[in-house]
Amino acid sequence: MSRRTDGYIPVRSDSREVNEATSVDSGEVRGEREDRRDTRPVDAGIAIVALVVVAAAALRPLLNHLLDRPAIAHWATVFVAIAVQAMPFLVLGVVISAAVAAFVPAGFLPRALPRRPALAVPVAAAAGAALPGCECGSVPIAGRLVARGALPAAALAFLLSAPAINPVVLTATAVAFPGRPAVMVARLVASLLTSTIVGLVWAWTGRDELLERARRRPVEQGPPLAVLVSTAQHDLLQAGGFLIVGAATAATLQTVVPRSILDAVAGAGPLALLALAGLAVVMAICSEADAFVAASLTQFSLTARLAFMVVGPMVDVKLIALQAGTFGRRFALRFAPLTLVVALVCSAVVGRWLL
Amino acid sequence: MSAAGGLISLLVGTALLRLVVTGTYGRYVRVGMGPWLAIAGVAVIVLGLVTLVREARRGERGAPEGSGEPRAGAPVAPLDGHDHGGGNRMGWLLLAPIAALLLVAPPTLGSFGVDRGTQVNVRAGGAVLAPLRPGPKPIAMTLLEYGQRAFDHDGASFNGAAVQLTGFVAGTDPGGFRLARYQIACCAADAAPVVLRVVGVRSVPARDQWVRITGSFHPGDGEIPELAASNVVEIRAPEDPYE
Repeated sequence: MSRRTDGYIPVRSDSREVNEATSVDSGEVRGEREDRRDTRPVDAGIAIVALVVVAAAALRPLLNHLLDRPAIAHWATVFVAIAVQAMPFLVLGVVISAAVAAFVPAGFLPRALPRRPALAVPVAAAAGAALPGCECGSVPIAGRLVARGALPAAALAFLLSAPAINPVVLTATAVAFPGRPAVMVARLVASLLTSTIVGLVWAWTGRDELLERARRRPVEQGPPLAVLVSTAQHDLLQAGGFLIVGAATAATLQTVVPRSILDAVAGAGPLALLALAGLAVVMAICSEADAFVAASLTQFSLTARLAFMVVGPMVDVKLIALQAGTFGRRFALRFAPLTLVVALVCSAVVGRWLL
Repeated sequence: MSAAGGLISLLVGTALLRLVVTGTYGRYVRVGMGPWLAIAGVAVIVLGLVTLVREARRGERGAPEGSGEPRAGAPVAPLDGHDHGGGNRMGWLLLAPIAALLLVAPPTLGSFGVDRGTQVNVRAGGAVLAPLRPGPKPIAMTLLEYGQRAFDHDGASFNGAAVQLTGFVAGTDPGGFRLARYQIACCAADAAPVVLRVVGVRSVPARDQWVRITGSFHPGDGEIPELAASNVVEIRAPEDPYE
């Protein structure tokens, strides 16, 4: 929220730098390919990277022309913003996940953690408070926990609660709603409740075979540091790719659907609750920021805004893409609706009780 | 795609660092996130470099890819081999934002979103602000503060002081134009605009043009805060375009 009036940057001064950077990159690519030609088949992937970079450079005037259209410029800015904003959190999650793969021996987690879902799930949900960050980081970590043999229901409870109840997010919520600590408490209670219930429902009725993709996650053998690097590299590309799908979807929905249509349903009880839950799914904003957006939606009831803050960190288009990538598409198709329904009910109940 | 994967990581990290070094990242995320983006960028570059070096060595030795031994009972796919789940092919998509950033660098949010998003309700705070002390220089403030002062006892706290505001033109209005600036909490995806009406101008700058306006409080219709402009200067978009 700071404001600086000095130091403007010229909007398109960096064109020359870009061309230089591009040619350096493609030069590197060519060198790499020639080095290896004798020893093994050319890695087609490297050629494709080079091709994409060169093609994009050639298409630059066209891209610049496209950005003259306000809607496309808006889309591009929101798309890049979501991707850039998520990167530090994704890197944190990927590094933690890789550290688990490298340093936690196989078979340790199943032995160390409680086995009974009735105990393991609430404990895992509460443990989410220990991971500061937003939702992008918790998906790879939960995936790794499942791969290392943790009870799936417990890993999923952790996945849901971590982005919602960590101290950073709760502090942001308290700041966004000054003089109303009940909002923060309601968010904590409703999020914990939702992740515990979803975890327990999954433990009793869930189909763990849907998590096969996460279980089969490759683990390279070797010295821990080598495992750390190769796992982090693998997870970063996989989660990153799905993150891009989510960012593009969210940017498209934000550009195409005007938020002002919300005003039509503001105030109307259950409909307002559904509308704000839908907004949370569509906007896919960081859980550290959603409290500020919720605070600005003053035409809605506090309970509806609570639903926005409970649903957002657990179900949104970016998260669904990440979950589909980590656990599989069929899993995400069941898990997201289940979570959405439970989150709505919990928000309505807790909102009625506390707000 | 292991070597290519390393290269993609290298590009991702470079793009992140470049955003921080050029200050362009302020168009997309809160300025306070700079150090975190830099740390993430360095981490991803190191990851990419180590991967490339390991791949190159592996190539020299002529060892087969994915030297890991499958464990008993658990079929383990080699890390850099084919991932039939479609997993690592997704990594290519990371090139999309990099291409966008390296080549065109999408602009700061403009007036397109102003009419479509939910505007910041400046009345919500109901703040009571200390009166300004008029001096020889106009007092610079955010659009949000201006709006709050305008609604605090009908602008009594301005005390007749000249103020200076920076924002972009979000469209024409009877007798002037709309001045807007977004507030962001985290990134441009959560941006919400503060909108004012500027009156008393002779000519209206182009839509989306950034301007620095000197003027004083003008009692409006009570719906949207008004500013009587004495001077309008067209400027380039500030490095931190959001409040």
